[in-house]
Amino acid sequence: MDSEDDMHDANDLDSVEDDFYSGDTGMGSDDGDAHYDFGDNESDDSDDITSRQQQNYTILSEADIRQHQEEDISRVSTVLSIPRYAACILLRHYNWSISRVHDEWFADEERVRKIVGLLEKPVEMPNSRELTCGICFENYPCDCMNSASCGHPFCLACWRGYISTSISDGPGCLMLRCPDPSCSAAVGQDIVELLATDEDKEKYSRYLLRSYVEDNRKIKWCPAPGCEFAVEFVIGSGNYDICCSCSYNFCWNCTEEAHRPVDCVTVAKWILKNSAESENMNWILANSKPCPKCKRPIEKNQGCMHITCTPPCKFEFCWLCLGPWSDHGERTGGFYACNRYEAAKQEGAYDESERRREMAKNSLERYTHYYERWATNQSSRQKALADLHSMQNEKLEKLSDRQSQPESQLKFIIEAWLQIVECRRVLKWTYAYGYYLPEHEHAKRQFFEYLQGEAESGLERLHQCAEKELQIYLDAESPMKDFNDFRTKLAGLTSVTRNYFEHLVQALETGLEDVGSSNSQATCSKSSSLKILGNKSKSGKIKPAGTNSASGAPSRSMDDGNLWSCDHCTFANPKSNNTCQMCEHHR
Amino acid sequence: MASSNLPPRIIKETQRLLSEPAPGISASPSEENMRYFNVMILGPAQSPYEGGVFKLELFLPEEYPMAAPKVRFLTKIYHPNIDKLGRICLDILKDKWSPALQIRTVLLSIQALLSAPNPDDPLSENIAKHWKTNEAEAVETAREWTRLYATGA
Repeated sequence: MDSEDDMHDANDLDSVEDDFYSGDTGMGSDDGDAHYDFGDNESDDSDDITSRQQQNYTILSEADIRQHQEEDISRVSTVLSIPRYAACILLRHYNWSISRVHDEWFADEERVRKIVGLLEKPVEMPNSRELTCGICFENYPCDCMNSASCGHPFCLACWRGYISTSISDGPGCLMLRCPDPSCSAAVGQDIVELLATDEDKEKYSRYLLRSYVEDNRKIKWCPAPGCEFAVEFVIGSGNYDICCSCSYNFCWNCTEEAHRPVDCVTVAKWILKNSAESENMNWILANSKPCPKCKRPIEKNQGCMHITCTPPCKFEFCWLCLGPWSDHGERTGGFYACNRYEAAKQEGAYDESERRREMAKNSLERYTHYYERWATNQSSRQKALADLHSMQNEKLEKLSDRQSQPESQLKFIIEAWLQIVECRRVLKWTYAYGYYLPEHEHAKRQFFEYLQGEAESGLERLHQCAEKELQIYLDAESPMKDFNDFRTKLAGLTSVTRNYFEHLVQALETGLEDVGSSNSQATCSKSSSLKILGNKSKSGKIKPAGTNSASGAPSRSMDDGNLWSCDHCTFANPKSNNTCQMCEHHR
Repeated sequence: MASSNLPPRIIKETQRLLSEPAPGISASPSEENMRYFNVMILGPAQSPYEGGVFKLELFLPEEYPMAAPKVRFLTKIYHPNIDKLGRICLDILKDKWSPALQIRTVLLSIQALLSAPNPDDPLSENIAKHWKTNEAEAVETAREWTRLYATGA
């Protein structure tokens, strides 16, 4: 069943939205398909919304990642006229940034070669019949030995052991050097391929693949458990929400679940707070410090203040002030009395973070209130997701049968459920938002709670319609005449709710800045945010007026002066109508 | 049992350590366990450890030479890079280890560490602090300890 598969693949709110409004994707729709559509553009804000919906990332499968990596290696290898293994070492060293490799190489090739251990002229192994292995001290015939480009000979068994030890120590194996302590010649994939066991080759190749994702500023793994996709992101493109092909939504910046309108710092605080591992986290907080560079927690169990993070990070820093070790020495009082730390401590920089932690602990009751609501919405969302799947997998077919409608024309129901799932997610995070909204900002709190309440009741209305009212049509023995009215109502509610939540998210993201000047203004901006445009074309079809509409610019033919907003359902009706097209409420 | 399953490299190293010992260093394997060495290092001339004889233990783990040997001072010593349990802060014993290094090179490095203490990368904070604030006094203490614990007996 193609259409369902499409639906499932495109289980991405944004892209479904695009499909939905552009009217010429996925479903292969000619005009017939989208005749219940609503434009939900509001001229003031549409640009904002549009930019958010543009996809600023690519989902990569493992094959894609390997292909990208191969292409990058080939490119550097060609441009610099160096072997592929050398290009690979260079790229890894410069975090897979081709432009950095090029910049550094052409600025000072000799320096770069020295740093990464690529000799300009390879050295041959000593030319004698028999050679002594530098590790096991045995003598072997020349052809039983091998060396990196530096010519230091080791026997094949020792090479295998050396490579194997390094691979089992972790991703540091990608920076392997010649075993000779005085030599820094790089040992690349070519040698690993030649000398290591099949199992080690496989592990090495996995580390290399992982490095391409994990050391690359532009790529991250999808954090969903078991998901093997990675995401390539256009850095600096604003919106962090990613929808992976596995249908998990997450935030690019902090790789937590998508959490708009709450910012990443708040989410991190909130999740830490909720964590069942919070006791462990308390221990980690109390007994470790994050590496200032790679953020992995480090426990200091012995030794000096000079800490070297484990590979691949290898950052050297001072345990006391977490500054780079290179800034230390005589000037800062050496290791034992880091002046940088003492000075900062006197300025209160360290006390402050400790005090903040303390305060958070004391607000347990308040926290419970928000947590319960957050968790309730979380479970409602799970329920809604399950309902969405049962809708996609069975009910839609049944409905199509009962109401004699092609499934392609029932997309509005899936759309409604997707919206419910999305709204539950947003609503959930508004509780984390509320928890961190300062107590003393009374006006903001009041306004926030009002918006949240409205959002909740709007969502209930939509949920009710998609669940209870739909049931009537599912139970009907024969097609019902008013099914089209139901279609219009549900699609309308979906659109209204989407619009409301979109603006809610925006308002919260800007920190409710409307508040503070005057409440009336805030209310005013809110009510305008609840408007939608109903744009009926001659044929009685409502023309798609999508944000990314392939058919042209979004429809803006009506300006606000020709509309009135229904008090009951907030639908924007043409002035010529005295009853609301949506809910038949009188003006 | 003793040397039957010992890798040839360890046997070679042992033979060479016994036949051509490095100056000021002696290392001999224990009779029960050929991977366990009793080591003595003479305090280098012109150092506060001069005249002392320092006992160490050295153990070659199963992974040797892919993993570094484990070395520890048994004699009490006043040194900023050696703590009161005798553990040594030396890069080649940790992340800078290479299988092309040997027992001999490790012991030579430890001997060199006695000649050149490095209080900027200390293991024993108090001793390092002492070294930084009043080196003459710290050196005097090191001499005193050498006299007390590393001579005679």
